[in-house]
Amino acid sequence: MTAYLANLATLVAIFGILAATLNFVVGFAGIFSVAHAVFFGLGAYAGAQVALQLFPDALLACLVAAIVAGGLSLCLALPALRVRGEYFVAASLGLQMMATTLFSEAKAFTGGIGGLVAIPRPTVAGVEVGVLPLALAALALILFLTARLQRGAFGRTLQSIRDAESAAEALGKNVAAAKTLAVAFACAGAGIGGALFALHLSFVNVESFTMDQSVLVMAMVIIGGTGTLWGPLIGAILLLSLPSGLAFLPFIPATEVGAVQQIVYGLAMTLLMIFRPAGLVGDLSKGRATA
Amino acid sequence: MSEILLKSENLARAFGGLQAVAGVSLSLPAGRVTALVGPNGAGKTTTFNLITGNLRADSGTAQIRGRPIMGLKPWQVARLGVARSFQDLRLFTHVTVRENVLAATETASWFWQPGGSRARRQREDRAAAALEATGLAALADARAIDLAYAERKFLSMARILAAEADIWLLDEPASGLDLASRLRFGELLRAATARGVAICLIEHNLDVVAELSDRIAFLDQGRVLAEGEPQAILRDPALAAIYFGDRPQEAA
Repeated sequence: MTAYLANLATLVAIFGILAATLNFVVGFAGIFSVAHAVFFGLGAYAGAQVALQLFPDALLACLVAAIVAGGLSLCLALPALRVRGEYFVAASLGLQMMATTLFSEAKAFTGGIGGLVAIPRPTVAGVEVGVLPLALAALALILFLTARLQRGAFGRTLQSIRDAESAAEALGKNVAAAKTLAVAFACAGAGIGGALFALHLSFVNVESFTMDQSVLVMAMVIIGGTGTLWGPLIGAILLLSLPSGLAFLPFIPATEVGAVQQIVYGLAMTLLMIFRPAGLVGDLSKGRATA
Repeated sequence: MSEILLKSENLARAFGGLQAVAGVSLSLPAGRVTALVGPNGAGKTTTFNLITGNLRADSGTAQIRGRPIMGLKPWQVARLGVARSFQDLRLFTHVTVRENVLAATETASWFWQPGGSRARRQREDRAAAALEATGLAALADARAIDLAYAERKFLSMARILAAEADIWLLDEPASGLDLASRLRFGELLRAATARGVAICLIEHNLDVVAELSDRIAFLDQGRVLAEGEPQAILRDPALAAIYFGDRPQEAA
């Protein structure tokens, strides 16, 4: 049971990282990306390769993953950021589809459909460590940075771009540079999440980096509350605990848990959009803001 | 004659078959209010968009203090000292009034602003002064979306004040304001021109134009038909006929 909870906590921390970084682009900059799993995947493969080819140092794996995911997000984001609003959703959708295929085909880097296996246990400075403390530390760091950015000038720049891009530009803000920076920061964070994910499971394949995963992370952000600090983490906790919670209910047959889960997700999203459109945390902070 | 801060020559732009702006030459002197007057579709807002780089001109040039600005991006033009307001205001709706104005003082797009805490305090002071001047200080913590109509218009002006630009392009900033608000708006403009700001104002209310402007450029069908002292332009019967829709028949 302890091992089960530790596993769940590690996954919550990793998906908390993903949701918090996606929230940074969706909630603050208003860039609706449905390709977050691509950068999660790039980080996972990069981190796994570091552990397999060099040595399984967790910090090195995270650093390389952040550079690879953040760096590639720059190349991919620059053309895509030229399009606005709903067109960016479509562009990121295309990126997600393309990346899933590339992940399956680029066998030298990703191991193809079979994935990368037998990733060694992570170490820090030569000492073997669990992924849970690392993931919690990374989550805390990313939440801290998000809080700093949210209160500071850069967060204000992103929010002004979200609310009125042309007015932000008319006030001298280099909108493309700010958006690119936000995307690179978020994707580097997703890459760190990916490296931790690979080290945690000691196995990764393309299944974890598909459109479904991108949609799940987006759902975490929306359910928790876009543009809030704690919302995405709460969304991650809820959406990851739900399947396990349902499995414990005696009246649902084990074979039907998957179907029931989909119905519960769908129903929850619909009800939430009707009664708390700003997300679970969103309404609370909005109430404070107008008080 | 005061220094010309912004000058455009023969700006032109067509949308498909429609010649929206057909050779507009404007000079904005420091410390003066120039009103752009003309019927809807005369090319007034398009002229602003050509100057600020929101639209590319098909031909023509524009300079700020002699420096060519054609081909620059809107944020680059803004950093040369141009601030503009929009007809539809484009406030940062989901942040507070204070944050709207602070955002106007923070132009660096990096994770932090240059100058450290001293520069930050100066920006905060600038924002506070802009809120004070526009009468919004008491509403600093309200979200922009919760403001009343006139307050939104003044918030749009507060952003421009805080930006510390010396060329203001204002697109119908006084429309829909009551008399008291209009007087306060007039004070803002006079304080700015006293500091040497060059203002270009698009305005349909001819009373406001007569009250606030030093010069008028009358636009119709993308051309400057007449330019001069407000009283001379406003009394011209031919221009009045165009403005009030009683257009003389085109000569055969």
